[in-house]
Amino acid sequence: MVQSVLEPGTAEKTASFRETYLAAYRFMLLARLLDDKFAALWRSGRIHGGVFLGRGQEALSAATGVCLKKGDVFAPLIRDAAGRLAFGETVLDAARAYLGSALGPMRGRDGNVHRGKPQEGYLPMISHLGAMISVVNGILFARRFKKISGTVGVASVGDGATSTGAFHEALNQAAVEKLPLVLVVANNHYAYSTPNSRQFACHDLADKAVGYGVEVDSVDGTDLSACLETVGQAIARARAGRGPQMVVAELLRLCGHGEHDDASYVDPKLKASLVGRDCLKVAEENLLRQKWADAATLAAWRRGVLHEIEEAIAQVQREPAPDPFAEEWRAIATKHLSETHEEA
Amino acid sequence: MSLTYLEAIREAQAHALRDDPRVFIYGQDVGMFGGAHKATKNLATEFPGRVLDSPISEDAIIGLAVGAAIEGMRPIVEMQFADFSTVGFNQIINQAATLFWRTNVPCPVTVRLPFGGTSGSGPFHSQCMETVYAHYPGLIVLTPATVEDAYSMLLEAVAIDDPVIFCEHKFLYYHLKAEKLPSEALPVGKARIAREGRDMTIVAYSAMVHEALEAAKELVPEGWEVEVVDLRSVKPIDTDTVMASVARTGRLLCVGEAWPWGGVTAEIIARVTSEGYGLLDAPPQRLNAKDTPVPFHPNLWAAHRPTARAITAAARKLLRL
Amino acid sequence: MPQIPIIMPQLGESIAEANIIGFLVKPGDTVEAGQDLIEVETNKANMTVTSPCGGRIERITAQLNESYPVGASLGRIETTEEEIARLGLDVSAPVKPGDTDRVAKGNGNGNRSSVQPTVRGLPVPANAAGASYLSPRLKARMTELGLSAADLAGVAGSGAAGRVTVEDFEKFIAHLEKQRMSQASTMRVTVADAMRRSWTRPIAHVGMPVCLDPLFAYRKVARPKPGPALCALRALAVALAENSAPAGRLVGNKIVHPSSIDIAFAVEAEEGVLVPVIRNADKRSLKDLIAPYNELVELARERKLPPDATGGSIATVTNFGTFGLEWATPIPLPEQTLVLGMGAARHAPNWDSVKGQFVPIMEANLTLSFDHRVIDGGAAGRLLQHVADLMSKPEKL
Repeated sequence: MVQSVLEPGTAEKTASFRETYLAAYRFMLLARLLDDKFAALWRSGRIHGGVFLGRGQEALSAATGVCLKKGDVFAPLIRDAAGRLAFGETVLDAARAYLGSALGPMRGRDGNVHRGKPQEGYLPMISHLGAMISVVNGILFARRFKKISGTVGVASVGDGATSTGAFHEALNQAAVEKLPLVLVVANNHYAYSTPNSRQFACHDLADKAVGYGVEVDSVDGTDLSACLETVGQAIARARAGRGPQMVVAELLRLCGHGEHDDASYVDPKLKASLVGRDCLKVAEENLLRQKWADAATLAAWRRGVLHEIEEAIAQVQREPAPDPFAEEWRAIATKHLSETHEEA
Repeated sequence: MSLTYLEAIREAQAHALRDDPRVFIYGQDVGMFGGAHKATKNLATEFPGRVLDSPISEDAIIGLAVGAAIEGMRPIVEMQFADFSTVGFNQIINQAATLFWRTNVPCPVTVRLPFGGTSGSGPFHSQCMETVYAHYPGLIVLTPATVEDAYSMLLEAVAIDDPVIFCEHKFLYYHLKAEKLPSEALPVGKARIAREGRDMTIVAYSAMVHEALEAAKELVPEGWEVEVVDLRSVKPIDTDTVMASVARTGRLLCVGEAWPWGGVTAEIIARVTSEGYGLLDAPPQRLNAKDTPVPFHPNLWAAHRPTARAITAAARKLLRL
Repeated sequence: MPQIPIIMPQLGESIAEANIIGFLVKPGDTVEAGQDLIEVETNKANMTVTSPCGGRIERITAQLNESYPVGASLGRIETTEEEIARLGLDVSAPVKPGDTDRVAKGNGNGNRSSVQPTVRGLPVPANAAGASYLSPRLKARMTELGLSAADLAGVAGSGAAGRVTVEDFEKFIAHLEKQRMSQASTMRVTVADAMRRSWTRPIAHVGMPVCLDPLFAYRKVARPKPGPALCALRALAVALAENSAPAGRLVGNKIVHPSSIDIAFAVEAEEGVLVPVIRNADKRSLKDLIAPYNELVELARERKLPPDATGGSIATVTNFGTFGLEWATPIPLPEQTLVLGMGAARHAPNWDSVKGQFVPIMEANLTLSFDHRVIDGGAAGRLLQHVADLMSKPEKL
């Protein structure tokens, strides 16, 4: 199983960049194949609601997850399947959220990418983009009170989220409070169907950081090595107390906004350009070139991962769905203050 | 020695800060300035590093509070005016209010909302927001009407593991005084019979409780004894106490400072009519503010929301039905 | 020279009062509109109270280090009519010092706004005087006590349009409880309910005298002897067998015809009236009905009627003549349209046109009470005449 090979946050622990790279690659592969599986399940009617894939963004996401340590905070967004797995999410739990298993962390009350385990620092997103950043801020802020130091919080956002008021308020707040926040901005050039030209007017998203007094780095989001390097350093700077950091990665979404979308609006020139490269292929080519793995090994890993995914999906599909009659229809923790309205 | 409603709120916060290291206060101007209404006056000095100024970012203020709550703190955030909480509305209803239901992790955040009208405050410094928040599942909404309740309910709000919207009435801040802080109190979730009566029940909350009491007094010489119920919390509503009161009197008038559409008065009447239909000797009535934004000019403001005079007129009509 | 009060203004959100901390003018000083006059301190900050107009300080009533509520008078300025007109000032009575009326008045000009109630016209639930509107609470109480609207007919209502409120009701019950009361029997209550339901229809009556001589003559020789009521019952059965419409029930716009001519007759038992039924009274002769009839009478008197002996009848016959009554207006049972009544037999003069004189006969009044929705007076009259004719030939019944 992939997770047992390396713990998240390996970048710091081992000196070997190669080990880190391999671990990240394995999470990318797992994420890609798991996403494919979810898409297939959706197209066969087994997943209800929406399916949102991270195809094309695995390098950035896996790099983020791998550079984080246990005890850090991670608020992933829609295309972070790889990062979530790297941060410690199991394939079972990811599948449980999508398939609505009563045994999953969300217990069927929320689904698809709205999943997480808040008390393990893994925050479940709400749909309103930008809204998770201040929550990460809050955790980091509280740790200061508790005299916990040396942890960081990463919030993933896309180019679209950078337009929201919530993004602005939270980034400003993090900067004012000098919190160890790392904002990883995946600029995949389209927010649903909206191209960058209709999303912001600054020349480069990285320019926004200056306005907040925040350090920023740019990176080629299709290159795993570069992502590991850049994200790793940003996290290290935040951890060292340098205040909030922003990383802006250029990449392209290699799928629709959701599986219900065919992304026909994407500019073919972008698709054909460097930013349209498949980061998984790029990483595999790199592995082969560096002789860190051979074709047979890659094929074997792929088979192994597919098998693991099949087993997990099968197991989850056997799990019970939530039972509305067994549900406690109560939204607050304080039982005696809950208003139970008798249903007729 | 007497203290105002505002001082009671300040005392409660001091008490919370003193007793629980997990408590901190965050909001605009709450630090050295002591808050726009002086609700946190001197607290920053007394509790250094625990009463912190935020930028003008209601969304991020609430988001930060939720994050801090996940991490085990008990934040109190002050919205400068209830009217501005709409900028943080998303974080309140979608982040704070859904966290427990979605993840089983409680969210013990207290959001203090200076709400309600005072003369000359106008449309954006007078709003009553309890309706909107009570509507969303996952929130507790408190509306203390007395100095004692302002104190004890704020303390309890901080102790409750769920997000609490604490509606403090700005008019009562300085107008309402009490002799001393209470040593014991009704728990959150229980309504209070502010005045016992026989002929009619008026259900009210926050500042309107005082208008209702005034109206009840005016009706005594006419031979009427009106019972006044102070809801204290609008989510949850203590339906039992309201129902028992209507069982005694048979007539119901609900008074709210908020607007007519939906709201607490509509909710009470819906409950009494569906669960206590056989208790009513006359159709239940309600009195609310006029269906316009809150006006600025004192003449207009005086006519916009229910007053003791308006309540007595409505009461007389109902008593004669 | 007119005087204008210097009023404590509202110096901040929810500020209720301020403390006097200094005077910048003294009585006799000439001041301009807007000039600072008095320094005050609120919970939030230090401010000044300014002059409402140009003029001369006539007096300062406020005292140093004292607190005054918003709207209180702090002093007076003597000014001119022109100044007052120029600035649109109101010279009406200032708010009294210490006035803590929580409803804010217009700042500085003592103008009291009259508050219009926001309550729209309330609906008047009663549509007529009396107990016609019963509130849910009242209905609940009535159900609790087993009462119906008929029981409240005599209660004067104090509610809108004379409706009976719960208070009126409780007073009525309390008053009743002071009267001497005896328990009404179950029978009484049942009959009361039936009569209440019967009475919801428009009941009309027709009547005519019938000569009983042929019947009495027949009785002299008949064995066994049929009673007059049974004769009437049998006659009614025969008449209805020929045309059952008068005994039909009106449901919507249809007349539901009876399926069999089952006729009931009234028997007085303790505390009420029982109505046993002769089934298919048209299919057996008068002679054959005597035994079953007598048996039913016995059983009724002993209150031992089997369940199948009552119910399901289409008309009732009642012999109120047994009480010595010549005339009565019985009420048809709620599920029936007709009740045939017979009065006491008496000697009466009858004009014999052959003999050209009055001759004595035995006569009794025959009445028919009917639901006027189903039949009219004419049809009722014809039915009654038919019954009378049949009764004049008892040997054919």
